[in-house]
Amino acid sequence: MTSAPERHAGPLALLLAALLALAGCGAKEVVVQGQFPEPLMSRLPLTLGVWYDEAFREHEFFDEAKGRAESDWLVRTGEAQVQLWDTLLGGMFERVVYMDARPAPAQMNPAVDAVLIPRVDELQYAIPAQTNIKVYEIWMRYAFELVNTKGEAIADWTMTAYGKTPTAFLQSDEAAVNLAAVVALRDAGAHFATSFTRVPEVAAWMETLDAPTAVAAGPGDAP
Amino acid sequence: MSPRALARLAPALLTAALGSGCVTSTVDEMVFNEPTEGVGDASVVILGRRHASDYETEPDFIQCIGRHIQRGDPSIEVVGELEFLNALYPWFEPRTAPLRPADIDRLMTQPPVAEKLASLQTEYLIWVDGTTVQTNSAGSMTCGVGPGGAGCFGFGTWGNDSTYEATIWDFTDRAEVGRVNTSASGQSYMPAVVVPIPIIAPVQGTACDGLGDQLLKFLSSEH
Repeated sequence: MTSAPERHAGPLALLLAALLALAGCGAKEVVVQGQFPEPLMSRLPLTLGVWYDEAFREHEFFDEAKGRAESDWLVRTGEAQVQLWDTLLGGMFERVVYMDARPAPAQMNPAVDAVLIPRVDELQYAIPAQTNIKVYEIWMRYAFELVNTKGEAIADWTMTAYGKTPTAFLQSDEAAVNLAAVVALRDAGAHFATSFTRVPEVAAWMETLDAPTAVAAGPGDAP
Repeated sequence: MSPRALARLAPALLTAALGSGCVTSTVDEMVFNEPTEGVGDASVVILGRRHASDYETEPDFIQCIGRHIQRGDPSIEVVGELEFLNALYPWFEPRTAPLRPADIDRLMTQPPVAEKLASLQTEYLIWVDGTTVQTNSAGSMTCGVGPGGAGCFGFGTWGNDSTYEATIWDFTDRAEVGRVNTSASGQSYMPAVVVPIPIIAPVQGTACDGLGDQLLKFLSSEH
């Protein structure tokens, strides 16, 4: 006599095999999640307004599979972007004010020294299956606008960020891409924190405010 | 022998497989200024170098060395890598990390960084750079699923090489005080008759033990 579990073992095994086979064909989706520490630095004596537009708050990257052996990839970074920049700016500036809208001339705005508007211009990823290197990589290019409360430009610059993570035993592609994205976001924060006051237009603007600019001298910079 | 009988033998075969593949290892040490009475109440930080574009020092290897040191001498306080990186963010990220001991001076000019390092009582900073790679692989294995069960048949073998270098910085003297290199290589095997039996050469583990032992000799007064 065959017990009930044994009777079902064959069809279950087939079902499992079919599911495993199908799992390789589906789209891979990563909602980037991570913890971002507050920067350890003297706060700049500025009240900074921040405006995240919808494209930034809900930023995602989609890459369509180029062949049957590959998968579609959807990497959602928006939530993690907001989390990182909230934490970073909160630790860099004396006061951070979240704007209700993008600053414009005929608009009531809170009293801030300037408004920062970040944007993700480009995101690229690479996984070992594409590169034959045992690392997962994420590369991002940001564009920043620093404007006054009337929406007039103070500074406009771009910045890149890069993160990679090695392959690990029993780690899924999704988990590895998430880790690489978290490293890239940390790199973005590090790059911004150590270079903000060295952006020429920002430095010139800060001189007009008489704010200290020595905060962002990284260890790799020339003395 | 029926597949079921072989499956029943699997635990015994697995036990036999506990014997692992062979590993050869070499360690080179260069010490300039060894502490004569250990590190005392001070703490030690072990960080992975992550500047190379084609590999990444594995975070679990860094944890392995930390655990090895603490097992060897529980009086040595090893600060976790992520804990240290978060506490000192953004100054020890791949983009901003000091490349030379002299760069620490520039970091110390920032009061929050100097205060944090003082509170952590960090005496030694150990940078570990390297990776474990697969050097060769051969063989083939076929797995199948049917109504009567699942199984694999075949044989696979692969080699691994580990090369790591640890550089020891003295935080107080802002100087490099030692350097340890280790390399290990080994061949792993996986025969499969219904059940795959991995006979894994612990290459990375051997490199971790080799490097950990040398660092213990450096840091501990008991070794």
